[in-house]
Amino acid sequence: MKPFKFEHAKTINQASETHLRETPNASFISGGTDILGEIKEGNIEANTLISLVGLPNMSEVSTLSETLEVGALVTLSRIASDKSVLDYYPVLSQAAMSVAIPQIRNVGTLGGNLCQRPRCWYYRNTSFHCLKKGGNECFAYAQGNKYHAILGSDECYVVHPSDIAVALLALDAIVCISSSAGTKDIPIGEFYVPPETNVLVETVLKPGEFISKVKIPKPAAVSKSIYVKIKERQGYDFALTSVAVSVSLEDGTIEKARVALGGVAPIPYLVPHVDSALIGKSVSDLDAHTIGQLAVQGAKPLSENQYKIQLTASTVARAVAELFE
Amino acid sequence: MAFHTIGKSELRRDLPEKLTGQAKYTSDVQLPGMLFGKILRSPLPHALIRSVDTTSGLKLQGVHSVVTPFDAPPGQIAPDMPILDTEVRYVGDEIAALAAEDEDLAETALRLIQVQLEPLPFVIDAADALKNGAPKARLDGNLVGGKPLTLARGSIEEGFAQADQIFEDTFSTPAQAGAALEPRAAVALWVGEELTVWKSTRGVHADQLALSLALDIPRKNIRIIGQNMGAGYGTKDETRLAAITALLSRRAGRPVKIELTRQEEFVAGRHRHGTSTKVRIGVKNDGTLTAIHATTIMDTGAYLSSGPGVIRRAGQGALYLYKCANVQYDGYLVYTNTPSGGSYRALGAPQGHFALESLVDTIAESLGMDPLAFRLKNHVHKEGQPGERVTPKGNIVDTQPVEGGIPFSSNGLKDCLEMGAKAIDWDYPSKQSEFSELRRGKGVSMFIYRGGTGGRSIARMRLGSDGDIHLITGLMDVGEGSLTVISQIAAEELGVSYQKIRTTFGDSAITPEAPITAGSTATFSTGTATKKVASKLKERIVKVASELLEANPCDLLVTNDGIENHQHPDQGVTFAEIVGSVGEIELEVAVSPGSPDHIINSFGAHFAEVEVDITSGRVTVLRYVAAHDSGRILNPKLAINQIEGGVSQMLGFTLSEQMLIDNRSGVTLNASFMEYKSPTIHDYPDLQVLFANVIDPIGPFGAKALGEPPSIGVAPAIANAIYNAIGIRYRDLPMSPDRILTAITDQKDLKK
Repeated sequence: MKPFKFEHAKTINQASETHLRETPNASFISGGTDILGEIKEGNIEANTLISLVGLPNMSEVSTLSETLEVGALVTLSRIASDKSVLDYYPVLSQAAMSVAIPQIRNVGTLGGNLCQRPRCWYYRNTSFHCLKKGGNECFAYAQGNKYHAILGSDECYVVHPSDIAVALLALDAIVCISSSAGTKDIPIGEFYVPPETNVLVETVLKPGEFISKVKIPKPAAVSKSIYVKIKERQGYDFALTSVAVSVSLEDGTIEKARVALGGVAPIPYLVPHVDSALIGKSVSDLDAHTIGQLAVQGAKPLSENQYKIQLTASTVARAVAELFE
Repeated sequence: MAFHTIGKSELRRDLPEKLTGQAKYTSDVQLPGMLFGKILRSPLPHALIRSVDTTSGLKLQGVHSVVTPFDAPPGQIAPDMPILDTEVRYVGDEIAALAAEDEDLAETALRLIQVQLEPLPFVIDAADALKNGAPKARLDGNLVGGKPLTLARGSIEEGFAQADQIFEDTFSTPAQAGAALEPRAAVALWVGEELTVWKSTRGVHADQLALSLALDIPRKNIRIIGQNMGAGYGTKDETRLAAITALLSRRAGRPVKIELTRQEEFVAGRHRHGTSTKVRIGVKNDGTLTAIHATTIMDTGAYLSSGPGVIRRAGQGALYLYKCANVQYDGYLVYTNTPSGGSYRALGAPQGHFALESLVDTIAESLGMDPLAFRLKNHVHKEGQPGERVTPKGNIVDTQPVEGGIPFSSNGLKDCLEMGAKAIDWDYPSKQSEFSELRRGKGVSMFIYRGGTGGRSIARMRLGSDGDIHLITGLMDVGEGSLTVISQIAAEELGVSYQKIRTTFGDSAITPEAPITAGSTATFSTGTATKKVASKLKERIVKVASELLEANPCDLLVTNDGIENHQHPDQGVTFAEIVGSVGEIELEVAVSPGSPDHIINSFGAHFAEVEVDITSGRVTVLRYVAAHDSGRILNPKLAINQIEGGVSQMLGFTLSEQMLIDNRSGVTLNASFMEYKSPTIHDYPDLQVLFANVIDPIGPFGAKALGEPPSIGVAPAIANAIYNAIGIRYRDLPMSPDRILTAITDQKDLKK
C-alpha cells in the first residue's frame, strides 16, 4: 500500500482547511472501510487522509421536536439498533442492518456510507480509464454490465452502492454539510449529482466540505416505512436492486408517499410518478403489481441487466405489499 | 472386528494450535534479515517482452535483488512454463520480481521498472480459440497436443444405431476460483549451495523436484518445508512463485518472502477450468442405454498446469457411471490468454457430471420414468462395464479405465441412491410454500470418482529412545485432516492409542518421499504404507519383548505403554525398556498401492430440495442429502466436515461463482471477495451426510477416496431440483438470480 499522511483533525476548520490545501490528493476518513480499499487497490491517489473521528458533536443521535438528528460519525450498527430509529424510521434501521457484515457496520459511519464511491468493476480497476476517472469511455456500456444501471443515465452506468442513502431519500432527509466556510443544509434529493451534471463525482461536496449530520423529519402520526434489498448472496453483498418506501396515512388513505430505488441508477433514485400513484389511494385499493411496473417505467437495460427491470418491479411490489400487510 | 480408534471421531491433531492461533502458516515465517518480494505482472493478455529496465527500481535504497526474463536461469518450471519468460500470456502473468526491505518499498520500486511490451494477438474464449484462423494464445498453437483426447469403448455408431431415441444437449460451466482464504506464499533462504523453501504446498517432494529441474541444482540441496495450509483445494499446484522467491534470495544473499495479494491470488492462483460439454445419449424405449458420447471443450488458460489430468477426468462420468457398451469421450483442452486452470477439487468431474446428470433427467422425463428409477436401472454395478479387459492380466488396473470387463473392488452406488432417496422423502413431491411465488422441487444426481490408490508412498515409524512412537511421512496435510487419519491407522495397527503417535509430516529433508496430496489419494497411498509399517513395527516389538520376557509371542499384547503378557498380567515390558535393551527401532515401508484385478472407485448420490423465488430469481437450497460410498469411514467427524465443505464450496459453483474476464482487455473483472460471489454461511442448506455400509477389500481398513467426491454431484442435483420446481432446464452455470429470472421471464408457461 502506498504510504500516506494521516491527520487527526480536532476542529471543523482544521479538517476543512487541510482538505482544501491538500486537494486533490486528500480524502476525509472516518470508518475507512471504503477509502482504504480504494487506496490499496491503487484506484485513488491520496497522500493525505484527514480523520474526522475526533471532531466534536458528530457521534450523537438526538431526538428534537421536529427532527431526528444523526451525526455523520454514528456507526451503521448504532443506526440499526437505535431505539428512535427502530420506532419511527424502520426503513433506515433495515437499510443499516442490510449493509455488509457486522465488522463493517461496527466501524462504517453514516457520513462514510453516504459518500462511498461506486462499486463498478471498471471504475474500481486501474486497468480501465473510464468516464468516471476522466476517460472517454464507459466500459460497461457494451458488456460486463450485469450489475449496472437501468435508470438515470445515458453515459456512465455505475450504480450507487449506498443502502442508507436510499432510505434517507425516501424519508426526505436533510444533509448538513460543514466546512470552514460554515454549515449548510440541503435536501438529500439534491445532495447526489447525476452523471450528466458531473460524471467524476457523485455528490455536491466541494473541497473542504464534509457531511456533519443528517436531519430526518419527524414522521406523521400514522406512518410506515420499509426497506427491501435483493442481494445475489445472503451474506455481505451490495444490492442488485433495493427499494425504500415511506408513507404517511390518514384513515387508511395514503397522504404522503416517497419511493426510492437503489442499485439501479448512478445515484439513489427517486420515482415521483410512483409517489403520485400512491398518494390519495386507499390502502385496500392498492395494486402492488401495477405500482411495481410503474417504478421501472422508462428503464433502459444494457446487454446483461434486462433482469433488473423485472427484479426491481417485483421488489417494489413486494415492498408495497409488505408495507400494508 | 472391533477397532479402538478407526471409525472414531478423534479430534484433529492440529485443532489446539489452530483454535488458539498458534498454527504457523507460510506468512508467519520470519527470518533474520528477511526481505519482501513483489512481482511485476503483465497488463496485456499476450505480448513479447522487448526489454525490462530495472535500473531506477534498483537504485532505491533498500532494494536488494531483482529477477527478469533476461537474467533468469533458463530452466522450465513446467513443460510449457519457464521460470520467467519473454512471452507473457495473460493479464497477470509474471514479468519480473524484486526484493526490498519492506513491502511498501518493494511496491514503490516495482512501479519504477520500465517494461517494453510488444502486443500480440490474443484470444479469451476457448470456443473462439478453436476456430480456424483464431489468434494464437501462445506461439505454438491453441489446441493442446494438436488433437482431442479420445477415449472409447465399443462403438458409439453401433450404439446410436440401436437406439430408439437420441437425446443431445450442451452445458457450460465457468472458471471457478479456488478462493482459498490464504493467498499463496513462499519464503526462500539460499545459502551457498543449499536452498530452503517454506511454502503452502500440497507436496514437498513434488516442489523439490520441480525446483531442482528449474534451477538446475541437485534435489538433495533443496529442502521444502510445508507449512499449515489456509486451504488450497488442490489449486496450490504450482512452483513458479517459489522459484522466483528462491532466485531473489540467492541474488540478495538474504531470505525473501513473497505473499500474493488477494487480487493476485484470484488472478495468478489457479482455478477450476471452464468448460462446455455436449452430451449425446441413445436409449431404448424401456430406458436401456445404447450409447453415450460426450465432447468437452476445456479452457486451460495460459498454461497447461494440471490440464491433461483435468480433461481426462471430465470424461469419467460419461464413460463409466452408467452401464453401457458403447461410449466415447472427446476432450479438447484449449489454451487461451486467461489465468491458468489448475487442479481444483475433483478436477473435471463436476463439469462432466453436470452435463451428463442434467441430460439424464431430461431423458428420464421423456421416457416417463422417475429420475431415481432411471438411475437405479442404469447405474454401473460391482461387476463393472460390459466389454473385454484390455489391461494385461497382472498389471495394476487404472483407477479411471475405459475398457470393460473389470469389476470394482466395491460399489455402493445403489445403497447411496436408496438411502439418500429415503432421507429426502423422494417418493413424496415437495410440500409447496403458502406463497405462490415460491416454487419447490427435488433433484438427484449420482457420481463416480477415481482417486484411491495414488502414487508410490513411503511411511517410516520409529520406536524412539524415549519410548515414543513416531510416524514420519512426506505427506502434506492440506487442511483436510490426513495427519489425523493416518495417525489413527498407525495407532490401530500397532495397538496403541491415537494420542500416543507423534508425527512428522511434509518436510523434504527429514521425511521419506510422498506423493502430492491430491486426487483423494492420501488415505489410500500413505495410509496403506503406514498400515504396513505399523504392522511390521508391531511384529518387531513383540519379537523383542517375547525374547526379553521369555514368553510366547502369541500371548503378548501391545498396550499404550509397552507389551503385556495376557497369560501373566504381571509380566510386561515398557517401550522404553525395549529401546533400552535393543536400541531405537526404525522401519520403513514403500508401497505403490493398486489392484491388478479391481477398479478402486468411490461413488455417491446427492439429493437437493430447492425453493425458487420466481419474482427475484433467488434459489434457496432448503435441504441437501449427500450419500457417499467412500468405503469404511475412518473418522466420521472429519469425513462429514469434508462433505460439508465440498457441498458448500460447490453451492457457489452452482449458484453464484464465476471468474469474469473482460474479452477486450483480458482483465479479470471480479478478483476480490466482494465481487467474486462465494456463498457465505447464510446461503448454506440444511445438510445431511450419509455413508453407505461398504468396507473395501483393498483400501486400508476398507477405506476409499473421500476428499474430492463431495464436490461432484452438487450442480446437477440442484439443477435437477430447479427443473422439478419450475420446469426450466438451466444449461449454464452459475444459476445466478439474473439467469434464473431471465429464463422465467422468457418462459411463457411456467410449471404451476
